[in-house]
Order: sequence, then structure tokens, then C-alpha cells
Amino acid sequence: MTDTGYTQLLDLACGAFLLSGVLVLARRGLAGVIRVFTAQGVALAALTIVIAVHERSAEWGVAAVGIVALRAVALPMMLRRALADQRDAEARPLVNIPASLLAAAALTLLAYVASQPLVHLAPSTATHAIPIGVAMVLIGLFALTTRRRAVSQVVGFLVVDNGITAVGVLTLASVPLVVELGIALDVLFAVLVLQILATRMREAFGDTDLDELRELRD
Amino acid sequence: MSPAGLSFVAALVGLGLAAVAGFALPGAARPAVVGALSAVSGCAALVAGVGALAGQAWSVSLPGVLPLSGLVFAIDPLGGMFVAVTGGVVAAAAVYGVGYTGHGLSGRLPQSVFPVFAAAMLLVPAAATVGALLVCWELMAVASLLLVVTEHRERPEVASAGRWYAVMTHLGFAAILAGLMLFAAAAPGDSFAALRAAAPGMTPGSRTVVFVLVLAGFASKAGIVPLHAWLPRAHPEAPSHVSALMSAAMVNLGIYGIIRVGFDLLGGGARGWWIAVLAVGAVSALYGILQAAVATDLKRLLAHSTTENMGLVLVGVGAAGIFATSGERVLAGLALVAALLHTVNHAAFKTLLFLAAGSVLRATGSRDLDALGGLRARMPATTLLFGVGALAASALPPGTAFVSEWLLLQALVHGLPASGAVTAIAMPLSVAVVALTAGLAVVTFVKAFGTGFLARPRSEAAARAAESPRGMVAGMVLAAGACGVLALAPTVVVSALGRATAIGRLAADPISGNAVTVRLGGVAGALSPLMLAVALLAGVIVVLGALRLLASRRARREARLWDCGAGPPTPRMEYTATSFAEPVQRVFDNVLRPEQDVEVTHADESRYLVAAIEYRRAVPDRVERRLYVPVLTALRAWGRAARGLADGSVHRYLGYGFGAVTVLLIVLAVTR
Repeated sequence: MTDTGYTQLLDLACGAFLLSGVLVLARRGLAGVIRVFTAQGVALAALTIVIAVHERSAEWGVAAVGIVALRAVALPMMLRRALADQRDAEARPLVNIPASLLAAAALTLLAYVASQPLVHLAPSTATHAIPIGVAMVLIGLFALTTRRRAVSQVVGFLVVDNGITAVGVLTLASVPLVVELGIALDVLFAVLVLQILATRMREAFGDTDLDELRELRD
Repeated sequence: MSPAGLSFVAALVGLGLAAVAGFALPGAARPAVVGALSAVSGCAALVAGVGALAGQAWSVSLPGVLPLSGLVFAIDPLGGMFVAVTGGVVAAAAVYGVGYTGHGLSGRLPQSVFPVFAAAMLLVPAAATVGALLVCWELMAVASLLLVVTEHRERPEVASAGRWYAVMTHLGFAAILAGLMLFAAAAPGDSFAALRAAAPGMTPGSRTVVFVLVLAGFASKAGIVPLHAWLPRAHPEAPSHVSALMSAAMVNLGIYGIIRVGFDLLGGGARGWWIAVLAVGAVSALYGILQAAVATDLKRLLAHSTTENMGLVLVGVGAAGIFATSGERVLAGLALVAALLHTVNHAAFKTLLFLAAGSVLRATGSRDLDALGGLRARMPATTLLFGVGALAASALPPGTAFVSEWLLLQALVHGLPASGAVTAIAMPLSVAVVALTAGLAVVTFVKAFGTGFLARPRSEAAARAAESPRGMVAGMVLAAGACGVLALAPTVVVSALGRATAIGRLAADPISGNAVTVRLGGVAGALSPLMLAVALLAGVIVVLGALRLLASRRARREARLWDCGAGPPTPRMEYTATSFAEPVQRVFDNVLRPEQDVEVTHADESRYLVAAIEYRRAVPDRVERRLYVPVLTALRAWGRAARGLADGSVHRYLGYGFGAVTVLLIVLAVTR
């Protein structure tokens, strides 16, 4: 792979990653949100593969396979199962969709400005894309904060995790495999718990709007 | 390893075993095994401390225990003195604890935490890095807190006292943490040697900030006004042998911290610091003894007296600092020795008094002096031992406190010609404070002993009291023996303490003497407590003999006591603690501001006939009311307002986190 080709492929993968993250905010139907999230997992895996090929590293290849298995297959499947009713939609997000998109743009800009010190530590093609990962963390947090349905919140949480993984991949940091596995397992458990929570909420309230839980305070 | 080090490690191992035994053994065997192991360990620690005072150095470095800095422990003469005092108190309290069971005191938690508390108190003066000091300090605070709340199921006051203690000890910890972190930031490492080397390079301003923070933290542990509010709550509510440990050993470590950081690590510093120390010490001494004089709760009285004694110690420490900054090394050494000796003496008699109070509490179930009385016939050993303690605590010869307060007065009086207008004002005032405190201490302990133990019982419980088991009496006898040695042969201790003052090149070893006489170096003064005691004893014998002789000249005649024709006097006519302290309360009315209420109910038939009179009196803590209540009210209002932030919406909580991250990033991006 030539350097130009590597740069273009990397930028393409990062672009897809960012776009899918923004689309999470743009979609209203929960099934669509899960589809976009799946796409983001694929984009993250593509990003890892590009880096694996460039670095000629089998370890990164294995990581890419793991990312596909967890983020593009396992997690979306579990989310779909939690979403028993396909018509369940994000009816009234706390911040409406056009405003959310503007906020996503602002957050991306903030991420670019705030992560400059990280880029300057070791400038390279891969590290120049770090702001994408940081932006994804912020967008995920934003989704977590402003969406009402339990499933969209889980997706927000997973987008945060995707962003963290992307930063890890882009810094070419060799995170020990055990740590990586531990984090993946944590995420899996979190989703399991949230899935159970969502099911229980539907049984109790016939709805998965988290604002129904207001009474749970001192 | 030096002998001191060996016995120090042996003490820690013994306490570790005791903690395990307290957790693992079945209930019946627990108190005996834990008590025996802790007592042996206490003796080992005493030996270690005495060895360190004699000049045996010891240190150990454990780099792997704590990340980044590791732990380093070392005993020098100053630390050794506090190790020895703590060891002695632990030994007496542990022996006492063998017999002092019941009320859930032989449970798993108190029995296994007691040795941990003792070990933490031994490790604090041995710590040689900031990290080690802070870790041991926190361990000590948490262990003592667990012991304070032992009886929280029986009495609700215990839980409240525990809360006060928890909050105040952690605020103090935060102050110490901040101060020492600031200090360590200016040094290449966090070892005391590095801090000592870095102190001269710091600006005077930052040194003052460090000292003030550290002073606030350590003074709150020593129960110094105005940070004393927890002490009269927590010390009385703890089980009595724990009260003894807290009041006789733990408060000393506050003094240790002030001396260690102020004199040793910061190397003396400005005169203003020490004037502040002297001032808070003097205020604490007066305020503490005034509160003790009007207190009717026996253990609360002892706790207030702890504040008083720590105040006197700080008067000595402050005077030593003032002398050291004006170059009077001999006087500085004298004042510091007086302070340290008073610390040792206070540890001895406060252990004894708290243990005796525990014995009374166990026998009668009451700490209220107004409801006691007449224990002399039923608890002769406890009465005798409390009497010894009360004598030791009042600064009269041949009491224990007399020697150290005499030394303190000598230092202050000889400080008058020392340079400066400030000393010329501060020293006479301090002399007056020490003298007034000594007088009030006599009133306090005469009251405690006289109304608590003599005369006739004023309640059913006091009338049914029985002597405590042998283990408890043995613990008290140990403490009383220490009081006796310190009172009659203080030279044994004083010469060793002289070495402990040779820190920071500020104070010289000022006192010489043989086995009988304490002779001051540099200034004129000598005292022979043993001779004084012998002379007193001889005087008493002569007077009694003369009276007996005179009385035997006349024929003896049995007659009824004159009772104004109202029938034989009842116990209700006795002096109670309240009535005994009433004149003192009247004199200090403006300071104490007691709240009294007299309610007279007249008979239905005639206004001139009184059916009942009700009298209520309370002496609220004015410092607390003025200083703590407004702060607490403000905090409560703030907390209530903050409840509006938490309306139960998950999104709002998530939004707080998201907002905080975003704002932080924006601030970083803008300010970079």
C-alpha cells in the first residue's frame, strides 16, 4: 500500500466513522439507530484493518476481527432483541434533531481544538485523526444525555466506547490484550444489564422512557 | 537491627496477632487473649520508645507497600518518646480490657480493632515520610472511630458523637494533607529528610501557610479550642479503655505533629507562629478547665480536662518556639521539656482516671456525678485509685502534674527578661493562665472525687455498686504506678526527655539532676519532688499525731449530730457536683453564660405554701454555639438548596456530567 493510498483509505474510514456517529443523532426510529450503529462498528473495523495492513501487524488484524464480532454483530443483535417493538421510536428527544446536528458539529469542532496537544505529541497520519475519536466520545455523551428511550441511551453509551476504541487504535497504542478483553467484556455486561432494565421497564410502565424513573430519589 | 527496633517490630507483630485473635477466636477466650497480647506488645513498645530515647536509632524502608513513594519508618528520640507513652497507655488499657467486657465489648469488631488502633498510634510517631504519616494517621482515625461507635446500638448519643468525630477528624486530616502536600511539593521527595533540607529554600509566606494548615489539623486532634467540639462528645461515649487510649495517647500525637513539623521539618520559623500556638494553648487551657469545673458527667469532665492539659502543653510548645526564635536555646529547651513532661504526666493520670471512670460506669451504669456518691465503702480499690489520679491531675505537690507545671512556670517566669515587647506581655499572661488553670483543676478534681466517691450514695445504682474484677483493677494499678513514679522521681524521665528536645538545633538539653533533685541548667532553679513528698507526709503525720494527742486529753462523748431539729440529714442534703461547682459558675458567669431555670409550683390551697421547686441548669458550650451552629445552619441550608439540583431525572444527571466535560474541554482549549 502506498502512503497516499494509506492516507486516503484511513481518511475514508474515519469519515465513515464520524458520519455514522452523527447519523445516530439524526435517526428517529430505533431500528434505524441500531443499523447506523452497526455501520459504525464496521467503519471502526475497517479503520483497524487499514492500520493493520499498513503496520503489517497480525495483532491489529486480530483486533479488527474482534471489533467486527463484538461491535458489528454481537451488540447490534442484542440491541435488536431488546427492541421487541419495531415501531418504538424516539418520539420527543430532549433536543430536537436539527439542533442535535448543530450540536454535533460544535462538539466536533471542540474535539478538534481540544485534542491538538495529543496530535502534537507524535504527528503522523493516524494521530491526525484522533479528534474524530474524541468527537465521537462527545457525541455519544450528547446522545446519552438527550435521548429518552433506553435503547437509544445504550447506543449513546456504545458510541462513547467506540470513540474510546478509535482513539486507542489511532494512537497505535499497544494496549495489552487482557485490558482490551476486559473492556470488551465490561461493555457486553453493561449492555446486558441495560437490556434487562429496558425489558423490565416495558413490563412495568409499558414504555422505556427513562424519565418515568423520576421518583427514584431521596 | 538495634534492640529498640527489634522490640518495636515485636510490638507491631504482637498487635497484629492480637487483631487476628480478636477476629478468629470464639467469644469467651477473646478478651483474655487479645488483652494479654496487646499488653505484652504495649510493654515491648514502651521498651522500644525508651531505647530510642536513649539514642538507639532504627529505620526500615518498605518501597513496595505504597505506590510512588513507598513507606519509610524510623524512630528518633522525639518519636521514641511518643512511642513509649503510647506503649505504656496501651499496656494499662489492654490489661484493663481483659476484665472490661459486657455491652457487646467482647464482640469481634471491638476486640480486633483495638490492637489495630494501638498499632496505628505506634506507627504515627515512627513515620519518616509524608505518605507513611498520612496513611497511619488515617488508619488511626478510622480505627478509633470504629471503637467510638461500638455501643451505638445501646445509646443514640453514641451515633451522634461518632458523626461529629468522623466529620471533624476528616476535616483535620484534609488540613494536614493539604499542608504536607504543599510542603512536599517544594521538596525533591516526601521523606522527612528531604523536607528538612527543602524548608530553608521556601518563601516565608508558603512556610506560614504550611504551618497554619498543619497546626489546624493537628490541633483539632489534640482537642484545642475552637476545634475541640468533637472531643467532649467522642471521648466519653467510647468504651472506657478506648477513652483512655484516645484521651491519653491519641491526643498526644497532635502535639507530636506540631512539634515535628514546626520545630523539626520547618526548622522553627517565625515568632508569630509560636505566639499563635501559645495563645490557642492558653485559651484551651482556660476554657477546658472551666467546662470541666462545671461538668457533671464524669467522663465528660475528664474529656474537658484533656483539652485543658493539651492547652498547657501547647503553652509550653509555644513558649519554646518564642524562645528559640529569639535565640534563647536553654529556655527553649526548658519549655519544651516541660511540655513533653506534661504530655507524659497527662498520659499517666488520664489513663488512670478514665479507667477508674469506666470502673464506676460498669458498677453503677451512670456517669452522672449528681447521682453517684458513697462509692468508697463499696468500691474501695477504685476509690483509692481515682483518688491517686485526682491528686496527680491537680497541680499540687506531691501530684504528678505539679512537677511539669512547675517546670513550665519556671520557663515562663525566666522568660520575662527575654527580649521583645511581645514576650514581655505574653509571658506574664501565660503565667497567670497556668496559675488560674492549676487552681481550677484542684476545684474540678476535688469535686469529681468528693461528690463522686465520698459521702453517701445519692441513687439506687450507686448504693448497689460492687468492686470491679481483678483485671480492671490491675490495669488501673499499672497506671497509678506510673503516676507515682512520675510524681516522685521525675528525674528518671526528664533526663531522657532532654534528648528528645535536641531536634532542629533549636533547643538545648537544659536539665540536669541526680535521682532526687531536678536542677535547671542556665537558670537558677531546683526541685526535689521526693523530698517534698516526704516533707508533706511528715507534716501530715505530725498534724494528725498532734490532733490525736490533743483529742485524747479530753474525755470522749457520743452525741447526735446537730440537725436543726429537722431529723437526721438525708443524702439529698449532700453537696452534689452541680452545687459544688455553683460558686465557680457564679464567678465565671460572664464566660460560661449558664442557662438556669427555676420553676416554683404553689400548693392549691395557698400561695404561701410551695408544693414543688424545679431547677434546671445547662452550661452550653459558647464557642460551639457561636462558631459551629452558624456554620452548620449554613451548610444545612446549602444542602437543602442543592437538593433542587437532583430532581430524579436521569437525563439531568447525565447532562451534569456531559456539561462538566464540555466546559472543561472548552476552558482547556481557550486557556492553552
